Amino acid sequence: MLIRVFPVPMSETPFNPIGAHTRSLHEDGEELRQSGTYATSEQLLMERIRIHDQMAMAEVFDRYGGLVYSVALRVLKEPAQAEDVMQEIFFQLWKGAGSYAEGRGSLGAWLAVVARNRAIDSLRRRKPTDSVDDVVLPAKTDLSSEIEQNLMIEKVRSVMKELPPEQQRMVELAFFEGMSHSEIAAKTGDALGTVKTRIRSALMSLRKGVQG
Amino acid sequence: MTNGLHISGDDLALHAMQALTAEESAAVQAHVAECEICREELSAAMGDLALVALSAEQQPLPEGARERFLSRVAEDAKQAEHHAKLAKIIPFNPARAGKVSVWAPRVAVAALLIISAGLSWEVKHLDERLRDESATLRNMAEKNAWAQAVVDLLNAPAAQRVLLTAAKTPPAPSGRAVYLPSTGALVFQGNNLASLAADKTYELWVIPANGTAPIPAGLFRPDAAGNASVLLPDLPKGVPAKAFGVTVEKASGSDTPTAPILLVGAAPSAGE
Repeated sequence: MLIRVFPVPMSETPFNPIGAHTRSLHEDGEELRQSGTYATSEQLLMERIRIHDQMAMAEVFDRYGGLVYSVALRVLKEPAQAEDVMQEIFFQLWKGAGSYAEGRGSLGAWLAVVARNRAIDSLRRRKPTDSVDDVVLPAKTDLSSEIEQNLMIEKVRSVMKELPPEQQRMVELAFFEGMSHSEIAAKTGDALGTVKTRIRSALMSLRKGVQG
Repeated sequence: MTNGLHISGDDLALHAMQALTAEESAAVQAHVAECEICREELSAAMGDLALVALSAEQQPLPEGARERFLSRVAEDAKQAEHHAKLAKIIPFNPARAGKVSVWAPRVAVAALLIISAGLSWEVKHLDERLRDESATLRNMAEKNAWAQAVVDLLNAPAAQRVLLTAAKTPPAPSGRAVYLPSTGALVFQGNNLASLAADKTYELWVIPANGTAPIPAGLFRPDAAGNASVLLPDLPKGVPAKAFGVTVEKASGSDTPTAPILLVGAAPSAGE
């Protein structure tokens, strides 16, 4: 059994990356008002989608279509396939908006993770491995404004570039290539434990970098 | 069950990335389902993945992608609306109808039996009520007949009215009143009354126990034998009487008694 089960000092509080970022933005009163307005409008949009309001669906697509498509394209590297994935994700949202609950984090962050998972499924030519309901983000994050999205993207890229190259590489392979840890170990020649540790370290660095 | 044991952060991160084998993922899934701490840690790892996703180079949408998606949504909405209309217009379901045809006679018989039982009970109930009310009516009719007989007797001109007094005592004018304060019912019977001039009449009075003014209780003139009756004059209800009196008034009667009071009798009590 590869899974190690042992006591973990859970001193690390659940991470709310974009929430932390939002707090820094909230030092500016104008940004705070914008953020609150967007959060409320996001809830209203989802309520409207639940009653099949096409205008609301168009607005959600306009906000997050680019993000979802970009993630899918990064994984699949094929525009037509990436668009198929994107279309399916948004259509699923349209058909079952109830599956997305507010407690699952911000809609943008949720869609980004779902886009990656669906793209990996498509890459492996397999049926979706899990329901979108399984994707639960730590807390409410706010990517609903273009400003928030752009600021966060800029910060994430900056932190990613500062990661050690081997960590960057392993995150790339695991996240965008969809490789398992054993496949990565086989590809890089590193030990399985080393692969796990590096991936975990990269994610923790990213988390801390964004929080800071 | 955690028992203080948890999945390592490394494995939770890999699980979030779907980078574990199926068996390993199943083990993590089973543990996370019951462990709040690991569930939160997994959620945090998902948040990390959202950040990694943001690191993807932003690409413009393919041309026409937006229109294609919105057309699909519009078509779906149209179909949903169409189906909703059909559901409203055509509730008939052939498959269901087949089942109905098989069960319909049985259901109808059962319904008839239930209705029949209900009607039988209702008929029995009404019959009992009718018997009760008929008995009540009979009882009331008997009472009415008896009361009518009393009234007829008291009113009958041919009735022999005889006052019994001590022997050798000359007959004197007298009267007898029967009064029920709660209903205001009064019956008065006078005897040996002197005849009056044409412009005069006898008037009966109820003298209330509460000291208020006497209440006129009817005008009467005696017959040739000196007998007279007052039956159920129009009197207020609920007025206990202290006494009754008879005066002689003008033919049209009076609102207040005029002295002298020819006959007077005290009521035995203020009650009935």
